[in-house]
Amino acid sequence: MLVLFAAIAAPAAAQDTPYVVAYSHHMEEPESLEIEYFSNYATQKAGHDFIAPWVEFEYGATAWWTTEFYVDSQTTFNQSTLFTGTRWENRFRPLMKDHWINPVLYVEFENTNGADKTMKEVVGFDNQFDHAEPNSDTRHEHDHEIETKLILSSDFKGWNISENFIAEKNLGHEPWEFGYAVGVSRPLRLAATPQPCNFCWENFAVGAEMYGGLGTASSLTLSGTSHYFAPLVSWQMPNALRWTLSPGFGLNDNSHRFILRWGLAYEISGFGHKLRNLFR
Amino acid sequence: MKRHFIPLLLLLASAAFAAAGTGSQKSSGDDRGVLRAIAAAPPETREWQNPYEGQPNAIAAGKKLFLQHCAECHGDDARGRGRAANLRSPGVQNATPGELVWFLRNGNLWRGMPSWSGLPIERRWQLVTYLKSLH
Repeated sequence: MLVLFAAIAAPAAAQDTPYVVAYSHHMEEPESLEIEYFSNYATQKAGHDFIAPWVEFEYGATAWWTTEFYVDSQTTFNQSTLFTGTRWENRFRPLMKDHWINPVLYVEFENTNGADKTMKEVVGFDNQFDHAEPNSDTRHEHDHEIETKLILSSDFKGWNISENFIAEKNLGHEPWEFGYAVGVSRPLRLAATPQPCNFCWENFAVGAEMYGGLGTASSLTLSGTSHYFAPLVSWQMPNALRWTLSPGFGLNDNSHRFILRWGLAYEISGFGHKLRNLFR
Repeated sequence: MKRHFIPLLLLLASAAFAAAGTGSQKSSGDDRGVLRAIAAAPPETREWQNPYEGQPNAIAAGKKLFLQHCAECHGDDARGRGRAANLRSPGVQNATPGELVWFLRNGNLWRGMPSWSGLPIERRWQLVTYLKSLH
C-alpha cells in the first residue's frame, strides 16, 4: 500500500478549514485523497482518562461529492487498547454555485461498538459518564447508526462561519438524537506572500468551534446534555502536510472537563486519476 | 447489517471512482465548457477591478498559489492537461479579471472544476493576476 501511495503521490495544499468536529461547505478537490490521523485525549471524571485515535481517508469523488472512510480506536488508561469500528460518510453540495449560505447534505453510516470514544459528534444525551464504563463491557455493545447533517457554511472577508445541525438514528429501535456544531475560522494572513515559506502567517489558520447535544425526538431539551468549546489552530506545512491542534473545554457537569485533539493530514492531489493510469 | 457493510462500501467506492472518471471525460479538453461557465458570470463582475493588477509581487504570489492548487490539473505551464482547460487560451485570457475571480469562487462543479471560495478573495485576485500575466 505504501509503495502504491509513493508511486502516485503528488502532494498539494488544499483549502481546508481547521475544524475537527464542525464541517464547512469546502469539499475535497476532485480525485484528491487526503489521509488524516486524528486523536483526542480526554480527562474522565469518574473513571480512567483515554486517548481515541482515528484515521480518515477522504476522497473527492466529484467537485460536489466527497466521500470519507474512518477507522476508529481507543486506549483507556489502565484498561485496554481496542479497535472500535468504522464509519463511512458522504457529503453532497446540492447547489452548483457559491452563495452567501452554502448548504451541504451529509449522510454517514456508523458500524461501531460501545467503546468508541472518538466523539466526532455529540448528540442526544451523550455525556462523559458514557465513557466511564469499562472497555470489557462496552466492547460487546454494537451500534449501527445513520447520522445525517445539514451543513450551512459561509465565507465572508476571509472568515468561514459554519453551522451543522445533526440528526442521528441508532438502527436498533432507538429515537432520533439531535446535536449541533458551529465553527468560525480565519487564516492569519489573507494574501499570499511571493516567496515560498513555511512559518509565514498565511500558512496558519485559527478559529473555534462549539458543539453539543440537543436531546432526542421524544425529549428535545438542553437539560442533561453535554457541550464543549474548543479553540483551534492549524498549520499548512510543506509537502502538503497539515497539522491541527484543538484544546476543548467542557461547559457543564455532563461534559468531559478537557479534551485535547490533534491531527496530521496529508493530501495526495489527483490520486484517482493516477490510480486509473496505473492500471491502464 | 455488518456483513452487508463491506460490499456496500466497495460498491460505492467504485461508484466514486467511476463518477470521478466520468467527470474527467466531461471536461477533457473542453475549453468551451470553461468559456460557458465564465460567460455565466453576472454582468457586474466585468466592472470589478483587480487590486493587484500588474504588480510583480502579486504575480509571484499568484504563481506560488497556482503551483499549489491548480498545476496538478492545468499543468505547471497552465496549458491544460486533457481533463482541464488551457488557461492561456484566448477565451480565458479575454475574460475580465472580475469574471475570472468570480469563476474561481464558484467553480464549475458539475464539470469537475472545484469552487475555490475557501481561498480568501485576496489570494484569488493574486491567482488572476498571475493568469493574466501569462497572456
